[in-house]
Amino acid sequence: MPRRNGTTAEPKGSALYEVLKGIDFERRELVDKTRGVGLFDLVKDRSGSYKCYACTLCERTCPVDCIEIDYCPEFQELPFDVEAERAAALATLPGESCGANAACVMGEQPAGFVPEIDMKLFDSVIAGIRDGSGLVQALHSTQEAYGFLPRVALENIAEEMRLPFSRVYGVATFYGQFRLAPVGKYVIDVCMGTACHVAGAPLVVEAFSQELEVPIGATTPDGLFTLQTVNCVGACALAPVVRLGDDETIGRVGPNEARKLVRKLRKAEVPA
Amino acid sequence: MTLAKRTTRIGKALKAAADRSAYLADDNKAEIRVCAGTACHASGRLALRKALDKALAERGLTDRVAVVETGCHGFCEEGPIVVVRPQGLFYPRLKPKDIADIIETSVVGDGIVERLLYKDPASGEPLAHEKDIPFYALQERIVLALNGKIDPYSVDDYLAHGGYAALAKVLEDADPMGVIDEVEASGLRGRGGAGFPTGRKWRFCRGNPGDVHYIICNADEGDPGAFMDRSVLEGNPHSVIEGMTIAAYAIGADSGPVEGYVYVRHEYPFAVERLRAALAQARERGLLGENILGSGFSFDIRINQGAGAFVCGESTALTASIEGHRGMPRGKHIRTVAQGLWGQPTNLNNVESYANVPWIVNHGAEAFAAKGTETSKGTKIFSLTGKVVNGGLIEVPMGATLRHVIFDIGGGMLPGREFKAVQLGGPSGGCLPASLLDDPIDFESLVAAGSMMGSGGMVVVDDSTCMVDFVKFFLKFTAEESCGKCVPCRVGSQRLLEIIERICDGQGTLDDLDRLETLSEDIIEGSLCQLGGSAPNPVLSTLRYFREEVEAHIVEHRCPAKVCRPLISYTIDADACTGCHVCFGACPTQAISGERKQLHAIDQKLCIQCDTCRQVCKFDAIPVVDARPALAEGRQQ
Repeated sequence: MPRRNGTTAEPKGSALYEVLKGIDFERRELVDKTRGVGLFDLVKDRSGSYKCYACTLCERTCPVDCIEIDYCPEFQELPFDVEAERAAALATLPGESCGANAACVMGEQPAGFVPEIDMKLFDSVIAGIRDGSGLVQALHSTQEAYGFLPRVALENIAEEMRLPFSRVYGVATFYGQFRLAPVGKYVIDVCMGTACHVAGAPLVVEAFSQELEVPIGATTPDGLFTLQTVNCVGACALAPVVRLGDDETIGRVGPNEARKLVRKLRKAEVPA
Repeated sequence: MTLAKRTTRIGKALKAAADRSAYLADDNKAEIRVCAGTACHASGRLALRKALDKALAERGLTDRVAVVETGCHGFCEEGPIVVVRPQGLFYPRLKPKDIADIIETSVVGDGIVERLLYKDPASGEPLAHEKDIPFYALQERIVLALNGKIDPYSVDDYLAHGGYAALAKVLEDADPMGVIDEVEASGLRGRGGAGFPTGRKWRFCRGNPGDVHYIICNADEGDPGAFMDRSVLEGNPHSVIEGMTIAAYAIGADSGPVEGYVYVRHEYPFAVERLRAALAQARERGLLGENILGSGFSFDIRINQGAGAFVCGESTALTASIEGHRGMPRGKHIRTVAQGLWGQPTNLNNVESYANVPWIVNHGAEAFAAKGTETSKGTKIFSLTGKVVNGGLIEVPMGATLRHVIFDIGGGMLPGREFKAVQLGGPSGGCLPASLLDDPIDFESLVAAGSMMGSGGMVVVDDSTCMVDFVKFFLKFTAEESCGKCVPCRVGSQRLLEIIERICDGQGTLDDLDRLETLSEDIIEGSLCQLGGSAPNPVLSTLRYFREEVEAHIVEHRCPAKVCRPLISYTIDADACTGCHVCFGACPTQAISGERKQLHAIDQKLCIQCDTCRQVCKFDAIPVVDARPALAEGRQQ
C-alpha cells in the first residue's frame, strides 16, 4: 500500500533555490516538455525589489513539488526583506551556526542556559520514523525526549526523512505546541479557553507575567519557570485553570492565587 | 460460506472475545465508582482514590467492594464525583477526609451521609440518587449512556454492556450498502459543526475508487470551551472504535483495503492514553486488525496527535497535518471523499458522529430518526460552561430550547447574576441574547440566528462580561490561529482585531462599525476554509444583538460591564471599607495606602487594574467605576 513521506525534493536542485541566489539566474528548462518551455524567474517591481512575499502558495500547489521556499543566511541578497522577522524567529532557535556568515543569527544562544544535547535520546525518534510515524509525530517524540526541539535534532529528522530543513522548521513553527527553546523546571500553562476567559484568565496570565517578570512564552533567566498559554485544557468547569507541568491541573486560580503559587514554588527551590 | 454459517462464526467469535474471568461493572453490585475525567482529576481525584483504597483495606473490604474508575460523569462542576452502588448514591465535591464516613455509612451500612449529598440549588433539598438530580434526569443520553458506568480501560465492561454487538451484526449481514442506507435513513448529521449527512458522505466515499480508503476520526477538538469529544474518548473509547470499524466496513468492504486514523489533540493526554489502551485491547480480542471476528474483513486504526493548531480541525488541514505538512487547508473543489489523505478517498467524521453509529445499528434508523427535529435528528452533547450553576456535559435531543438546556438542566445563572448572552460554536459561532432563549437548537435555526452548532460548546455569560472584550478574545484567537494561506483571513482578522481593540480603548468611531461589517463580509467571501469563513461571526452577531453596548464604548466612552481598562478605574467605597488591610497586602504595585482600621485609598497612577484587590475584598468595598470624566478631560487636551 502506498505511503508517501511527503515530498522528496532536494533543496539544492530546486528551481527557486537557484533563483534565490540572486546572482546569475540559472534558467532551467522544464524536463521532458517539448512545448511551452518554462523559465523560472522572480518578477521585480520598478524599485528593483522582488515582488515575492514568500506566501508559500506556489510551493504548496506545485503538482510536482519542484518549488521549495528556502532561506539561507549565507546569501546576502535576499529577494524580499524578511531579515528582521527571520532574526527574531531564529533568535529562539539554539544550535550551531554553519559558519558561512559571521553575522549569522543561527548560532546565537538563547538567554539563560542551553543544556547538553544527548543524541542517544534521539534513537527512539529515528526508530519511530522508520516505523512510519509522520513528521508531526517525530517532532512530538523529540520534544518528549528533550523538552524542546533542538536544532540538531531537527536537522537529523530532515536528513532521516529526506526532507528539506526548511520544511521541518516550517512545520515545527506552525504548531503551537512545539518549542524551539529549552523550558524551565516548572512549565506554567495558563488556559485561555472561552470559559476561562469569561472567568478572568487574562488577569491571571498577567499576574504570572508580572510575578515572574517574563512575557508569555518566555523562560525566567534562572531557568526555573516557563510561562505559556494553552487554548483549552477542557476542564472548563474549574475555570480559570492553570496547568503545572504535565500532570498537575489547578482549578479556580485568580491573580492572587497565581502570585502565591509562584512565591510558593520559588520558596521551595531555595535550600533552607 | 453461507450466510447462516458466517453468522454463527461471527457470533461465536464475539462471545470468545469476552474474558469471563474479568471483573464487570454492574449496577447491582457493591461498587464505588470514581469519576476519572479530566475535570475531576483536576479537582483531586487521585488523593480521593488513595484515601478510598486505604479505607477499604483497613476494613478488610478490598475484595468485597470493587472500586471502578469510570469516564466523565458529565457533572464537572461538582467534581470529584463518587457514586456508591448498588444504591446509586451520588456524592459530589468529596475530600479525602469524607471517605471514611461514606464507607462506614453507605458501604458497610445501608445509610446515607446526608451532609455530603448534592443539594438541589432551587429548593436546597439534598438529593441522594443520580436519577433524582435534574441535571441527569432531564438529559437523554445515547452517546454518553455508558460514561460513568463502565471502566474505560476494560473492553470486557463494554462487551458486557452490549458493546461490539452492532459491529458483529454488520459483519453478519455482510451488506455494506445496507449499513449506509440505514445510517442515511437515520438522518445522522456530522456532529463536528457543519452538519453534513453522515450516510451520504459514506456513500460518496465508497463510490470513489482508490488504492485504499481512509477512515479518519476528527478528535481535534480545538474550540475553546468544548470538551465533549474528549469525554467520549476518555469515558467510552470503544464506542468510537466500533463506530469507525462499522464505517470502515460500510465504505471499504469488497472495494479494497481500508485504514483508520484518529487525529486527537495533544492537549488531551488522558484521552490519548485510554484510546491507545482500548486499541490494543480490541486488537488482542480480534475486534480490530486482521480478519475481524473471523469475518475476513481487516481494518486497523492509528493514533495521530495534533500539536496545537486550531485550523487542523478543518478536514483538508487535518489530512495535511497527518501527511507531515503545515496544517494548511486547500480549496474544496475536490472533496476529501474523492481525494483526501495521501490523495485517496477519505471519510472524515467527528468523534460524536462515530459514537452514534453503534446505537443506530442496534436500535434501527427509525428509533434514531424519532428523536430530534424535522431536519436535525438524534441527540447532541453540549458542554455547558461559564456563569451557570451546573456546568458540565449535557446530552439532549436536537430541537431542545436554549432555555431548557441552560435553565432547566444547567440550573440557571449563578446566584445574583443576570443572563446576558450565550456563546455557541466557539470562535466560529456567535453570541445569542436572552430574546432567543426559546429558540430550538438545531443546525438550521442556529445558522439563521447568526451562530452555529459548532462542536457544541456553550458558554453562558452574565452582565460582568463586556461583549466587545469578548469579541476581542475570539478575534485574537482567530488572528493567531489563522494559518496564513488566504490573505483576507490572515490580514483581515488582524485588522478586525485592531478595530475592536480601538473600540475597547474608547478610541473607536461610528465609522468603525461599518468598516467591521464590510471587512467581515470580505473575509467570509475570500477565505478557503471555514476558519476564515466563520471568523467574523462573533463580530457580526455582536453587532446584531449588542450594538448598544458597542456604541456605548464609542459614543459615551463607557464600558457598561466595567471590563475595558482605559474606560474604568478602581476606587474605594468609604462607607464599606473597614480598613482590614487585606487589599494592602495583596496589591502587587503598592498602589493602595492606608493604616489598619482606617479608610484606604488607591493611587490611580500606580494602579495596574489587575483586579486583585476587588477579588480579595470581603466587604465589596472596591467598586469599579467609569473613568469617563478623566478620559473626556484627556481628550479635550
